Amino acid sequence: MQGFKYLIIGGGAAGVSAADAIRQNNAAGSIAIVSDEPYMLYSRVMLSKPNFFLGKVPFDQVWLKGEEWYKDKNIAFLGGKTATALDVAAKTVSLSNGDKISYDKLLIATGVNTRKINIPGADKKGVHYLRSLEDGKAIMAGIKTAKHAVTVGGGFIGFEMADLMQLAGLDTTVIILEPYFWDPVLDEAGGLMIERAMQKAGVKIIKNAEIVEITGDKAVNEIVLKDGRRLPCEMIIYGIGTIANLDWLKTAGLTTHRGLVANEFMETSLPGVWTAGDIAEYKDLILGENVVMGNWVSAHEQGRIAGLGMAGKRQAFRFVSFYTTQGFDTRVAFVGDASPSPGRVVIPRGSPEIGSYARIILANGEVEGATLLNRTQEMGAISKLIERNIDVSARHKELGNADFDLKKLLE
Amino acid sequence: MANLKEYPRNRKDSKFGKIAIDRDLCIGAASCLAVSGATYELDGENKAIVTGADAADDATLQMSAESCPTKAILLFDKSGKQVFPK
Repeated sequence: MQGFKYLIIGGGAAGVSAADAIRQNNAAGSIAIVSDEPYMLYSRVMLSKPNFFLGKVPFDQVWLKGEEWYKDKNIAFLGGKTATALDVAAKTVSLSNGDKISYDKLLIATGVNTRKINIPGADKKGVHYLRSLEDGKAIMAGIKTAKHAVTVGGGFIGFEMADLMQLAGLDTTVIILEPYFWDPVLDEAGGLMIERAMQKAGVKIIKNAEIVEITGDKAVNEIVLKDGRRLPCEMIIYGIGTIANLDWLKTAGLTTHRGLVANEFMETSLPGVWTAGDIAEYKDLILGENVVMGNWVSAHEQGRIAGLGMAGKRQAFRFVSFYTTQGFDTRVAFVGDASPSPGRVVIPRGSPEIGSYARIILANGEVEGATLLNRTQEMGAISKLIERNIDVSARHKELGNADFDLKKLLE
Repeated sequence: MANLKEYPRNRKDSKFGKIAIDRDLCIGAASCLAVSGATYELDGENKAIVTGADAADDATLQMSAESCPTKAILLFDKSGKQVFPK
């Protein structure tokens, strides 16, 4: 049986960042990365960016770490294999090809899968999801021949894919189940600001709607909505959330909930097993709650913290997460925990009318999160306000004044 | 032609003489801010800018460049040779 001192399941940002941190602190210990994809580290973030799809950024820019990097760092890459079972007592992981690998320390950084729909016609050619490079390649090929395209879902994927489709010259329709785009992360005013930007570019938006059937011979040529409307369509991209595959981990005795549960050190409920990235549900020290934070920046940082812990340099993960995107001449950023739970105070800053609108979310007198539309330049200052737990209970007026420089609150 | 914005670095203890951001590649993912909030900020176009070229040590600066999901951060040595990405 093959064995490694450090075994990492998952070859994305979290897994690779962990391997790097381990190697920086342990020159000799054997490290292996198992990935269900055949590719070495590539930029999953780039997969949803129009410039990449439209060839404005060369395809090869997607590769972040080549063979040389793994070789230099003496990290074994076992691609195209899925972990199927874990035996914590024997310290072994079984793989889809029948191999079993033993480990001393294990990291689970497998990420999440896209949520799939289950309606008649869902398996037809032209129905897409976006997680892997293969998915990206299929979409790139699809936009070359489609004329009418549909995105489903009112979040990042829907936003970025709609941008891509209209830039590619397709007749684009966005279908969302909710009453407005990005509900509930944005408020209605913010959601409508996004919708106006999309509509201005020629995108149609159908709200409170869902597709009940996809018709066509082998490939999609029409969709049927719940209210009976039919739309011509050769391409559909679903961006309706993610699902973590936790079954094999639960069977192994690890505590799971929405994700694989970990403490602030990215340690799971069993010794010798760490987690990081989109699959991790960890204790967030700044927000004081258990969170799942699925984005590149978090995955990278969590991987580093897990790797340090595995190498014996235990450190707590203390980090304000954020995610940004842009499209339709609109720049969007979410910082910290921007969910408007009960008891939180929301301070508007700017307005949709002036095309620059933020919401700063407070709990117990401190900033917990923010949504920023065309105000991404304030992201740095806001993350520092969150990170330093600065009391802003007497500064509501300044927070709500769009011309006030938020950096002054850090002084 | 890449749309490079260059920032000289003058730290005596550093092997890097310059940081550059390729604004065509930058998508504002802000992983660089996550690694070093003292070095980078986002501007109004959602692109990274360097506001503290000398703020971070070499290891942190290297890590910030490596964390970029679009390889938009370039590092140059004191002689002006690009050392990252290789």
